Amino acid sequence: MVNQVYINALGAFLPGLPVANSAMEDHLGRVFGKMSKYRSAALKQNRIVQRHYALDPNGNWLCTSAGMAAAAIRDALNNSEASAKDIDYLAVSSTLGDGLVPGLASHVHAELGLGALEIANFQSVCASSLMAIKSAWLQLKCGEHSCAAVSGSEFASRYFRPGNYECVDEWREKGEIPFEADFLRFTLSDGAGAALLETEPNARQASLRIVWIDIRSYAHRFDACMVGGMVRQDADWRYWSGFPDTIAAAHAGAFVLTQDFDLMQRMLPVWVSHYLDLIERGMIVIDDIDHVCSHYSSHGLRRQIVDLLERAGAMIDEQKWFTNLYQKGNTGTASIFIILEELYRDGRLKKGDRILCHVPESGRSLNGFMLLEVV
Amino acid sequence: MGEPRAQAVMRGLLKVWTDFSCDMDATPLLDKLNRGKFRLEDYRVLLINHRQQVVEGSRWIARAGSSITGEYADQRSLFLRHAISEHRDYRMLEADYVSVGGVLADILQAEKNIGAEALHAFMYQRASERNPFDLLGAMFIIEGLGRQKAGEWGRSIQKQLGLGDEQISFLLYHSVNDEDHMREFETVLNSGILDIPDMDRQIVKTARIVARLYRLQIEELGNV
Repeated sequence: MVNQVYINALGAFLPGLPVANSAMEDHLGRVFGKMSKYRSAALKQNRIVQRHYALDPNGNWLCTSAGMAAAAIRDALNNSEASAKDIDYLAVSSTLGDGLVPGLASHVHAELGLGALEIANFQSVCASSLMAIKSAWLQLKCGEHSCAAVSGSEFASRYFRPGNYECVDEWREKGEIPFEADFLRFTLSDGAGAALLETEPNARQASLRIVWIDIRSYAHRFDACMVGGMVRQDADWRYWSGFPDTIAAAHAGAFVLTQDFDLMQRMLPVWVSHYLDLIERGMIVIDDIDHVCSHYSSHGLRRQIVDLLERAGAMIDEQKWFTNLYQKGNTGTASIFIILEELYRDGRLKKGDRILCHVPESGRSLNGFMLLEVV
Repeated sequence: MGEPRAQAVMRGLLKVWTDFSCDMDATPLLDKLNRGKFRLEDYRVLLINHRQQVVEGSRWIARAGSSITGEYADQRSLFLRHAISEHRDYRMLEADYVSVGGVLADILQAEKNIGAEALHAFMYQRASERNPFDLLGAMFIIEGLGRQKAGEWGRSIQKQLGLGDEQISFLLYHSVNDEDHMREFETVLNSGILDIPDMDRQIVKTARIVARLYRLQIEELGNV
């Protein structure tokens, strides 16, 4: 049995009020009591103007990652023709759960208060969203289940509190933190998004049929790029669990999220290659794409690559690109859900439209595409 | 913007190029550069290798030009002009080499490594064939390096070794000066050569061969 699978509802949850660029540093707290010297460079690069945090300025939690995921799923249910009792599969994605053990999916299930059901937990970085959607798509496609809830939730800001950096010996001596650590403080923020998938389309409102999902890892070609829980010592990675104790790991900086910016730039060509391969295989037909939802903005692509893509007839008109990263923040694995939720609500979708979703992940180079058709 | 066949060739080439540019990062020399451990000696070896390519490059393009038959006279002119525009660029490399402590005679007399021998032998063989427009695939790969990578490497080498602009002139110059070449390339691609049976496929295949051989000569630096 092979079913068609439809995204029948989308939901989003953004904690607290939006925090503007001018307020973000005082909201997260100033590291070593100083203004960051990389703030404007990071904001210029990511072009984000506001975001949300699940922490208040005193560091108190407004909610958990599991709570945000459950709130987004409830929002999707509110927008759905299905009800909570119909859900028989729950796929949860996140970069980091609230704790180390057990998996976040268990906590999200508990928060939702649903009966016994099958769950799956996907932990990676941004592209864990597509892993979770793909698992739900396949579960429904083969008839194992008929209604799936999928969530992506991130609570990055709890790693951005000053104390998390100030305990690193090397940085304390210098009185400042490096760009690879500071950049992410100004780039990532909190939130959750969710999708409800069923094997029948909506009766009253538009559905998004999943045409295909294609995910590829390039970890065989690249070293780790966005890391947490590990730190480079000399030439090798040292994991937090390999230190004599967690205090020593913290002093060495093993709990800090960092991003190797140059390495990320070197990943762009393989992501472009993946895209060209999908065109070659006829899975992407440029003229048939009506909307592009990319977790990576076109301005981040180097001019030369855009130029080459244009010459090759492979660039999708920038007017078709839709994003809300700049207003909602880069919420990692939650972003693609939050982008789709707004696109769906926005009213611009017409029957027959094709939506190309793109979620690259710099973690250790992973790239995913998903094609949807409005029915 | 070109015709659909030319666009399909461009997509094929772009795909070969993107894979190639990442594969290049895995070569020992560029891996070392990416890890921030580049030595002055590495830079000198790279300059020697580049000089051989530049010298041979304008020669095989000229030979390819002379293998083009009368019906493609316009394209032949472009090939020959291209060969002329680059044929003295090696002087910059020699100056860079001497400025970082190299002895001029060494870069002039250096023997090709086993990868470079294979690369150049292939180029001359193809360039001697009748109407070897498949070499556009080779040009795309090699020009692409100049256009996209030379500046990146140049700036990184300059930073790691603390060099002045005049010591890294070739790599920096190429990153800003190769823009016109891409337009020229597109002109030839759209000039009717794709009417030659199977030429579209051959261009992309030659690009794949050259990408592999180019990487081989970087992997074999010093192995003469």
